[in-house]
Amino acid sequence: MPPLPVITGLGFITSIGNDRPTVLRSLRELRHGFESVEFFGNPDLPVKVAGTVKGFAFPTPNWRDWVWPDHFAVDRELLRGLAPHGVYALCALQQALADAGLDPAALAGGQTGLFCASAGSPFLLGHFLNQMYATRGERGNPMGIISSIAGTLNFNLAAHYKISGAVCGFVSACASSSHALGYAMDEIRLGRQQRMLVVGAEDMTAESIVSFSTLRALSNNPDPATASRPFDRRRDGFVGTGGAVALVVEDAALACRRGARVYAELVGWGQAGDGYSVATSHPEGAGLREAMRRTLADARVDAHEVSYVNAHATSTPAGDRSEALALQAVFTSNGAKPRVSSTKALTGHALSLAGAMEAAFCALAIAEGFIPGAAHLEEPDPVCAGLDFPRVSLCEAPHFVLNNSSGFGGSNVCHLLRRPA
Amino acid sequence: MESPVPSNSAKTYLATSQADRIKHLPAEARAAFQRFQTLGDPAGLDMVICAILADFMPRRPTVPLAERPGSTRLIDDLGFDSLAITEVIFFAEDLFGITITNEEMVHVRTLDDLRGFIRRKVAVHAPR
Repeated sequence: MPPLPVITGLGFITSIGNDRPTVLRSLRELRHGFESVEFFGNPDLPVKVAGTVKGFAFPTPNWRDWVWPDHFAVDRELLRGLAPHGVYALCALQQALADAGLDPAALAGGQTGLFCASAGSPFLLGHFLNQMYATRGERGNPMGIISSIAGTLNFNLAAHYKISGAVCGFVSACASSSHALGYAMDEIRLGRQQRMLVVGAEDMTAESIVSFSTLRALSNNPDPATASRPFDRRRDGFVGTGGAVALVVEDAALACRRGARVYAELVGWGQAGDGYSVATSHPEGAGLREAMRRTLADARVDAHEVSYVNAHATSTPAGDRSEALALQAVFTSNGAKPRVSSTKALTGHALSLAGAMEAAFCALAIAEGFIPGAAHLEEPDPVCAGLDFPRVSLCEAPHFVLNNSSGFGGSNVCHLLRRPA
Repeated sequence: MESPVPSNSAKTYLATSQADRIKHLPAEARAAFQRFQTLGDPAGLDMVICAILADFMPRRPTVPLAERPGSTRLIDDLGFDSLAITEVIFFAEDLFGITITNEEMVHVRTLDDLRGFIRRKVAVHAPR
């Protein structure tokens, strides 16, 4: 039997909470993390809601002006190379390591790897390039590249924690951190690493979010209580958010030896492309359907055994429809009826961070014995017929949980989590 | 290659005042900079240089840099690395309106080296 990857530590910096108890309460009580915002100081922008990350502020590109909660330690030496989402990531990883009972000194030595995902920092990259334009290339922040390009998380965190195992960043848009988690599972299953740190993060800035309005992908609904409503007939786009989530994934044998708490076992994953469009999902969710099937096959689990699906659904008209059809093909048409919800109704869509964040929510649901409800869903789109959306969180302990993610270019990734024996 | 037209942010960078550039430095360093600008007071210049160094040091200084001996080495004693030194150079270039080449910086190893080097540079280029 290959090694079994298990989740032993979680850290959260999210719109619905900056620690595990707060996130748990938000998921159980369906408390959303949205606030009214005015991006770029422009009241005429139709996008007026975001999943804000409380307790942090990044008013300028200069780290000397940045604010984070006092109880997190952010070294000055590290700050100069960090983007806003790097600060989130550091705080989330500190939490996850403490949660897993790991001394950072234990991460050196080559047995621990680090896989990360973010889109980089458009906020800092824009500032860096504007400096260069202004000085015709004669000036630029020496840390401008390191702090702003995709990969900034793994550059910084690997050096800071002296990780000498596998280190990599993943870029597949909104499936990025799901890829990071999937390949982290493989590192353990193949016996290459005993422990993997998986970190997803995104800035929560106008530059990261409003850019999606050019694609007409964002909700123009100004009401924080209803702007994000996946699978609802009246959904009109996603609500952006940022933050960071860190997961500690270990070989079950190692976790057992050191007496670590196991949130969930990671028993399968799969991916498949749509082969269809650069930006929109396949109209029938072909790639996501195949990714779900491959995941179930990888875990040797039947669709009937799945208790809960944490859907990717971002609240866009086209994307939610595709996923609903894919879910029907995998489950409903086979007589299977798992509970389904998208926690993006509470958090907003966290882009590269989404997959890792929702995998962590699934692990919490398994460990705490509940199923997150489908918040803000009042009138399910008729295309969702046959899907079981609980309107409140349920006190049901799920056994197998499926986590879906999809990204630009039709990149679809799923994970299957199991309650520990 | 043709450069894009500078955006508003680029224009802002060009127009950044010296007061804005040093707003993160301690009040006494900002006052010393004023004295240096108006009176050409070299003691004021030394205080500004120490404040800039302290601001860019990777680790917060435990002893005020002005109290350190002039032979204190930037890399070996203060923990600077090449990136942090580059940050100091760019900042000093913008603040004092001087140009510092990589070749020149190779010879700057200690606090006294840096203070002497910048004094000579600004003597050539101003006081304003």
